[in-house]
Amino acid sequence: MTLPSESLPPPGWGARGIDGLLGAFPPGQLSEIVGPWSSGGSSLLLALIARVTTSGGKAAVVDGTDAFDPFSAAAAGVDLSGVLWVKCGGRLDPACRAADLLARCPGFALVAMDLGELPLRRRQSLPSSLWLRLRRAVEGSPTILVLRAPQRLAGSAAALVVSARRLEARWMGASQPTRFAGLSSELRLLRARIYPHPHPDPLPPGEGEGTRNPLSPLGRGQGEGRWTIEWRS
Amino acid sequence: MRRIGCLLAAAPEPHMSQALLEVALAHSPWVEEAGPGLVYLDAAGLEGLFGGERQLGDRLSRAAAERGLRAQVGIAGSRLGARVAARSGGGVTLVQPAEDAAYLAPAPLALLDLPEEMAARLERWGIRTLGELAALPSAALFERLGSEGPRLQRLARGEDLRPLIPWAPAPPFEESAECEWGLDTLEPVTMLLADLAEKICARLVRRGLSADGFEWICRLAGRSLHEGSLALAAPMSEASAIAALLRVALESRPPQGVVEAVTLKAHPQRVASAQDSLTGRSRPSPRLVTAALTRLTALVGARQLGIPALLDSHRPDAVRLDPFLHPHPDPLPGRERESESLSPSGGEGRGEGGRKNPAALALRRLRPPCPAHVTLTSGRPVHLRSAALAGRIVTGAGPWRASGEWWTGGPWARDEWDVELADGTVCRLVHDGSAWFLDGIYD
Repeated sequence: MTLPSESLPPPGWGARGIDGLLGAFPPGQLSEIVGPWSSGGSSLLLALIARVTTSGGKAAVVDGTDAFDPFSAAAAGVDLSGVLWVKCGGRLDPACRAADLLARCPGFALVAMDLGELPLRRRQSLPSSLWLRLRRAVEGSPTILVLRAPQRLAGSAAALVVSARRLEARWMGASQPTRFAGLSSELRLLRARIYPHPHPDPLPPGEGEGTRNPLSPLGRGQGEGRWTIEWRS
Repeated sequence: MRRIGCLLAAAPEPHMSQALLEVALAHSPWVEEAGPGLVYLDAAGLEGLFGGERQLGDRLSRAAAERGLRAQVGIAGSRLGARVAARSGGGVTLVQPAEDAAYLAPAPLALLDLPEEMAARLERWGIRTLGELAALPSAALFERLGSEGPRLQRLARGEDLRPLIPWAPAPPFEESAECEWGLDTLEPVTMLLADLAEKICARLVRRGLSADGFEWICRLAGRSLHEGSLALAAPMSEASAIAALLRVALESRPPQGVVEAVTLKAHPQRVASAQDSLTGRSRPSPRLVTAALTRLTALVGARQLGIPALLDSHRPDAVRLDPFLHPHPDPLPGRERESESLSPSGGEGRGEGGRKNPAALALRRLRPPCPAHVTLTSGRPVHLRSAALAGRIVTGAGPWRASGEWWTGGPWARDEWDVELADGTVCRLVHDGSAWFLDGIYD
């Protein structure tokens, strides 16, 4: 697949890049990053952790399936000394309870819950009240609570939902690939119920739920809720 | 007559001080801690015990050696004289009484650890040795340098009137209780531990200390022991909070038998009180943070959480988990603004924590690697079948060969392939010489 040139990200990560999206993850709310593997969802989560830890904040990673790779995190600029990594070894119940504990614990600027490769049946067995409980746990606090899973789980409890879609893998090498160079993915806002005074202009059909505030980082001029990102290996 | 002994570690390290202090305290009632690997002791009046200063020095040297420390000993009439004597090497060096000034005279001025400005001023005056400083007229020195001048001059002359600051080992914060009847349920054991914790905390508070950890030993019927420990993320001295945390820790790993006696020991620590910034956000309560982390430890296990630290090794996934300490205060608003303006195009990352490559691709590791069946054509993987992923491989790059630690008992070698499946998933395959594994998925 060849990307149209106008959809390529601008050089660097300026105000028009993904920084605007990272800054839009709302404190005191539950957010979701959804999308299949190789869609850049976990990379987006690492970028968010890097943003928090380089600002001096602490991040907690509740790792449902022990999939967190500190080497990737360090390469993404995460200050590992600011990360509490909780390995749950594929156990769903401890992961949920750990996320609940950390969401209520003061001192963490970000709590990321990664449910990873758990079977869909087990993920869907989680009660919807869990997400409401988690949302209530961070409400009014400065903590950003983010859930990473292939599919949407939190439903209406999530204030912000970012969907990641893979576009293409990039390889180096002329006739035969010699090195994996990275992935292109498209990030899209599925839901943005994050601003107290929503603008009356709703999102166009197909853009997802919620409304957009023109003064917010997600307002007009930010690619209309879509970002095309090249993740480099 | 004043006599000071000095014990100086040949290769000072912070952990040596405690051992050196204990060695010194075994020989003299007055001991002063002067820094890493440096201890002073009052050597006056010990001849009757040890037979003379030489014998005292020899005994100190031997006692240090028995503790695995290589220490040099100096005895003189002042701290500086004793330290210079110890630094001169040769095991034990004595400076005869009233000869400190003569002994110190050729020593360089740098031994006084002068501030940079003072050192530069004396350098401009041409003063390079302690003897030259000692020979200056005191009144003129006072006129030019204030009270600091005569003080330094007294040190250079070996006149040391300041008494030693006595060091004493911290008392053991330990409490025990015997049970008249064996305790076969958890509730009374936790109550007993709470009682012991309250007594220890009261003693800690009286001394202005906190505890950063607890250890307990339960003697069980049949004389077996149940041991446990609780590491606190932040030092605390609140008995009720500690009792609650001990209960959680004990519930996560209860004693397997009837408890006959319990011993609880605290690790005391002095916490420096520091006022947070007036404009900064309030710091989270250590009690709340510690309680949450203790509950978390009970939930997933102590080895399953911590700060990831990369090991200095090429071995794949070489990571260890360090204990998580109490979070620092939130960044000041100014610092936040600074970080928000940080962008790879416009600025550089800050040290290790700087944003090296914010668009770096994440690898999701499978721990342990998932066994896979890989079909090869012309030596290249064309199909993958595993519990986590399966499908036709459309593109692949490799093998990237890596090996290491062949000089140890645990050598490793592997070939890595990055492959793209027909559905677009990109993953990393590994062949360790005998079998294929799915090592991770790029995401």
